[in-house]
Amino acid sequence: MSKVEIIGPMEFLLPVLDRVRALGLFQVEQEMRGFVGREDEKAFRSVRLDKKTLAERLYFDDLLARIGQLAAFLPKLPTRCSYLEPHSAVGIVADVVDKHTALCSGLCRRRDALEEERSELLRQTSFLDALEPLFKTAGEGTGLDFIGVSLKNGEAVDHLYQLIARLTGDTFEFVTTSGPEGAIIVLITLPAELGGKVRDVLNGERIPELAFPASLGQLPFPDKVRTVRRRIGDIGAELDRVNAELHRFASRWWPTYHSVREWLLDRLTLLTTTAAIHKTDLCFFIHGWMPSPDVARLSSLLNGEFQGRVVVVEQEALEEEMETVPIAIRNPPYFRPFELFTRILPLPAYRSYDPTPFIGIFFPIFFGMILGDVGYGLLLAACALVMLKLCRTRRDLRDAALILLVSSCYAVVFGFLYGECFGGLVGWALLEQTCVIERSRAIMPMLAFSLSIGVAHVTLGLCLGLWSALRRGAVREALTKLVNILLLLCLAALAVSLFSPFPVPVRRGLNVAVVVAIPLMLLTGGLLAPLEMMKNIGNIVSYARIMAIGLASVLIAQVANRFAGLTGDVLTGAVAGGLLHLINIVLGVFSPTIHSLRLHYVEFFDKFMVYGGRRFEPFKKPSG
Amino acid sequence: MEKVLLGFAAALAVGLCAIATGWAQSRIGSAGAGTLAEKPELSGTIIILLAIPETMVILGFVVAAMILYL
Repeated sequence: MSKVEIIGPMEFLLPVLDRVRALGLFQVEQEMRGFVGREDEKAFRSVRLDKKTLAERLYFDDLLARIGQLAAFLPKLPTRCSYLEPHSAVGIVADVVDKHTALCSGLCRRRDALEEERSELLRQTSFLDALEPLFKTAGEGTGLDFIGVSLKNGEAVDHLYQLIARLTGDTFEFVTTSGPEGAIIVLITLPAELGGKVRDVLNGERIPELAFPASLGQLPFPDKVRTVRRRIGDIGAELDRVNAELHRFASRWWPTYHSVREWLLDRLTLLTTTAAIHKTDLCFFIHGWMPSPDVARLSSLLNGEFQGRVVVVEQEALEEEMETVPIAIRNPPYFRPFELFTRILPLPAYRSYDPTPFIGIFFPIFFGMILGDVGYGLLLAACALVMLKLCRTRRDLRDAALILLVSSCYAVVFGFLYGECFGGLVGWALLEQTCVIERSRAIMPMLAFSLSIGVAHVTLGLCLGLWSALRRGAVREALTKLVNILLLLCLAALAVSLFSPFPVPVRRGLNVAVVVAIPLMLLTGGLLAPLEMMKNIGNIVSYARIMAIGLASVLIAQVANRFAGLTGDVLTGAVAGGLLHLINIVLGVFSPTIHSLRLHYVEFFDKFMVYGGRRFEPFKKPSG
Repeated sequence: MEKVLLGFAAALAVGLCAIATGWAQSRIGSAGAGTLAEKPELSGTIIILLAIPETMVILGFVVAAMILYL
């Protein structure tokens, strides 16, 4: 990352900012300190917007808010390109936006009212559906009144029956049926002159009659039913008309509004960034950071555009600024998907390392060592390919699929080395030839292998930590790391000598080295140094999970095979074994992933990573 | 008799460590769930924290393997 200063005459400020933004590689720094000497700071002042530009900014802000209000009323449609140039359309849009907002809000209000009315009527039709058969039983004779009631339980039905019988002197017909949500619908048919009296008593007893809109109040019951049904149909048609009108409006006008909105956002970002720029009486200064390889490109672009009147200067970054240098992580295509795992971590400090390549190299190897099965690996590779095809546009899922693809390839490779295909040899002559170790039986060799991987990985971490400390000039820390590395290697060699004895002089040399290294460690690392050493040894033992989880995986696969064989039936065996294998494959994706990541995050990165970097946020056009 | 004692020791080594891991993970899990409700962006850290106590049971497994096979 380079510290860069752009200097030019004031009249070029906005065009220069526009070009810098179009390039999208420059992070503007508001803070002057570090860019100019303390004694020169007084000569600089922030660029303040003149009255005209300030008024323009307020106008754009207001227009943007009004377009936002209109957007809230419009349906979301795929936006076509506008045929109008946004700058020239701003005036037109400003003139009509309020009128359009009023029109669209009116349509939306109408749509909401219609939807509310329809949902209310639909609720009533669920009762009407239940009432209709009763209504046919009761007949549609003149001089009769109909009262529909919804009751919650059978006891209320008895109570209502006795009440109506008392009120009408048994001149009524009482029919019940079940309604929606367990309710009991009752239709009471009685002489018209008794209707009012019965309704009054029902109101007093808090038994509400099935309610209909007030406009239907005067209609007889059968007409109410027909009117409600007809109204629902009418509402549907009107809703379609309102929606079509909104849709038509959006497809006609939104592209113009969209392009104007993009232009306004663009312009406002430019004006906002202007406040972070400094100037003298004659010229402006834009300070900031950009990737070193792109400085020459920016320089030649601005030189060509402004005939050498705008200068790009690369300044030397000071020691005390190292903490503030923004971090941009860029990786070659192979490592790029592994940034998915790096994004979980905080950003590394500027002088630390980008952890992505380490994860890209070691994660698939650990994954393969844990899963290590040709069959599972091939199945997961197929799944990864399908996932890649389906999720081309979704970055995270595409990255996950690519990681799975690479990791499953390693699982196939280790599957050949372990001689495993779905947990067993499955009669493959090739597997028998490539099998180096049968891990379900060779537990101790696999444990030794895993711990060796741990020693190598942790030592690499310590070496990187040593290099990092040297770069930062932390000599004492570097010495501690060096002593730790030596002591760790000596201890590892002594552990090996327990199983395969070394010649006596070599063993004696190792013992002496350990005896010398311990006080050296205390001298360089202080009293806590032995604790650090114990932590390193604990970290190495933690790599035993490569063997332990792998062993669990292969044993489950073998159990699945035996289980399938025990059933005595091809079909049942295939289903039972297949299900167990499926569970094992799911576990075989999650478990190795979590544990491989843990080995990186906790055991490995702990040795050399320094976090706390600031993200590189270049000045660029806002994304639509 | 010696084999029985060795088996019992190995079972204890794995079993006690597994119980300890389970207990630790239950505490971390419940605290992590509470944290995630407020700060979903910490999911990566929580997963790592949850995986940390598994070292105990793996160490127990290593000890058990050494008891049985060495």
